[in-house]
Amino acid sequence: MTPPPAAIDVQSLTKLYRRWGKKRSIGTFKSALLSGRPGRALAPDEAIPALTDVSFTVAPGETVGIVGPNGSGKSTLLKVLAGILRPTAGSVSVRGRLAALLELGAGFHPEISGRENIEINGLLLGLSRKEIARRFDEIVRFAELEEFLDAPVKTYSSGMAVRLGFSIAAHSDPDVLLVDEVLAVGDEAFSRRSLEKFAEFERAGKTLLFVSHDLGLIAERCHRAIWLDGGRVAADAPAGEAVTLYRESVAAREAARRAQPRSAPAAGRPRRVGSGAATLAAVRLLDSAGRETVRLRSGEAARLVMEVEAPEPLDDFVFGFAISTVAGATVFGSNTAIDGFVPSGLEAPSTVALDIPSLELAPGVYSVDAAIHARDGSPYDYRRDVLRFEVAAEHPTAGVWSPDRRWSFSEGIRWKT
Amino acid sequence: MSRVWSTLQRAWRQRALVLALARRELLARYRGGVLGFFWSLLNPLLLLLVYATVFRLVFTPRADVRPYALFLFAGVLCWGFVSSALLDAAETFRTNGPLLRKTTVAPEVFPAVSTGARFAHLVLALPVLAGAIAIGALDGSVRPDAAVLQFPVVLVLLAAMVLGLALVVSSLSVHFGDVRDLLANVLTLTFFLTPILYPIESAPRRLRLLFWLNPFAPFFVAVHESAFFFRPVPAIAWAGMIVWTFLALAAGAAVFERLRDSIAEEA
Repeated sequence: MTPPPAAIDVQSLTKLYRRWGKKRSIGTFKSALLSGRPGRALAPDEAIPALTDVSFTVAPGETVGIVGPNGSGKSTLLKVLAGILRPTAGSVSVRGRLAALLELGAGFHPEISGRENIEINGLLLGLSRKEIARRFDEIVRFAELEEFLDAPVKTYSSGMAVRLGFSIAAHSDPDVLLVDEVLAVGDEAFSRRSLEKFAEFERAGKTLLFVSHDLGLIAERCHRAIWLDGGRVAADAPAGEAVTLYRESVAAREAARRAQPRSAPAAGRPRRVGSGAATLAAVRLLDSAGRETVRLRSGEAARLVMEVEAPEPLDDFVFGFAISTVAGATVFGSNTAIDGFVPSGLEAPSTVALDIPSLELAPGVYSVDAAIHARDGSPYDYRRDVLRFEVAAEHPTAGVWSPDRRWSFSEGIRWKT
Repeated sequence: MSRVWSTLQRAWRQRALVLALARRELLARYRGGVLGFFWSLLNPLLLLLVYATVFRLVFTPRADVRPYALFLFAGVLCWGFVSSALLDAAETFRTNGPLLRKTTVAPEVFPAVSTGARFAHLVLALPVLAGAIAIGALDGSVRPDAAVLQFPVVLVLLAAMVLGLALVVSSLSVHFGDVRDLLANVLTLTFFLTPILYPIESAPRRLRLLFWLNPFAPFFVAVHESAFFFRPVPAIAWAGMIVWTFLALAAGAAVFERLRDSIAEEA
């Protein structure tokens, strides 16, 4: 049996953005005419690749996420699929009616009523007047805008406009729906309702392709995810796997960036203070295999190591580590004094290690502070944000703590296996 | 030829959207004003009153074009459509940038909307022209007859030619910032070089041919013949209108297709 034809088929897609920039900044039609070669002014100066040799197919009924850093070509890909932009090379085909939700309410005109905007937006999404008329009540009901239907859209709150935009698109009954990061807007209740609507699409066997920076959402909702990097497909894999790969690359890039010499310390909070009686030569994070890393899986063993140097032997010293979120909330902090060690002597160079048998942190990026100081707290060498690492997990959890856990249920609660 | 045809076909397939967007333009323009659509009548009415007053009391126009106010009014009304539609077209991609970038709308819709909305304005003002002709007929200064039936045909041809030019202007405006300013100057110049304020017979005899070469000349000759003199439009004017309309549409389709890919990128 041959597989059903793909809903989306992209073959060797390349998209170049042409730049007219150089001439255009000073160029005018007048000067183009005066130059005697107006056609020349319309020839692009240079081409910037936005997508390079991208190929993938999406089967009907599949939900596929697109992840990648800003500027990796995600939105360009959606625009080419939607037919807004033309491929420079390669081919793109989409089977069935397509709706693109690239921006909610992109077609709203502020001066005219919600009613008239529904009609225009519906036409923009490719519905006929008849189809719009048939779905009108449902659109209004879903958007909860019955009372405001005849008011101009400029009097709507942004939440109302977003609800209306989503409702129109959701009721345009596409076979293939392209969604670009629109779930980020709107309140909690609306996001939930729009997710429900997406689930409904999925059940109805529709094809859904969506771009989001919410990796948790992608991992949870999509069967598959495509990670775009620099306009190329870096990974095309089951969603959880693709998201993990992408997270790892982000953390690696972050680590590489930090390996560069630091620029001026952040104002107000010096990154490094201390008398220099002892110094931190290096701070490292090791995984369970003893390899230096900046990426760990939640629940994995971790070892924090500091290498200490001191010009003179010392008899008053405390070693400490703290872990905080990048937003600045401390997640953990302890030192040798707190944990009951009384110093007797230190001869450098020496090494201090803190073993954490199970790093029960929720997925995210964390920052490490390391310090050597005297028992009265006066620092020898105190380094803030000396290291950053990322914790990855199969499933995102809320908060910063992701303990080993087990659910149990009394009889009468059943689960699908 | 086939390219012209396919561009026009695409625009035609989008007609429901073009109509809805043109309606939106009109509604948005008049919404809020207490007088609503009455404004669309009031503006030309005031214009007509100004002409009637000035040319009765201040200037004494030529004897062969009386009542001059009516002659002028018919031409200026149509010219108003030409210039406002083209000026709108020069801005339409900038104004509708978000739609172009974020929805799957075909870009040819927008110059068509500029033309359509302004044409609707013209049509809404026609009752004032009709009223003025009726008043003129009552006091015997004009004698309307069946020749006026040519007028709608002339207007349709004019709209088609303006659509072609709107396609050119709108797609060029994506690449050049000064298209609208330049266009405003060109339009002012053209206004005076086109037989709108005067019948083409007033042009100096040795320059007459040059005046006829102006693409707008046959249209305005035809406007005056059909809606002021009530005479059959001369064959040369019909031929000129058809040729220029076709050329404008062909140029519009060619330039638009050439620049089409860059419109959503650059707008």
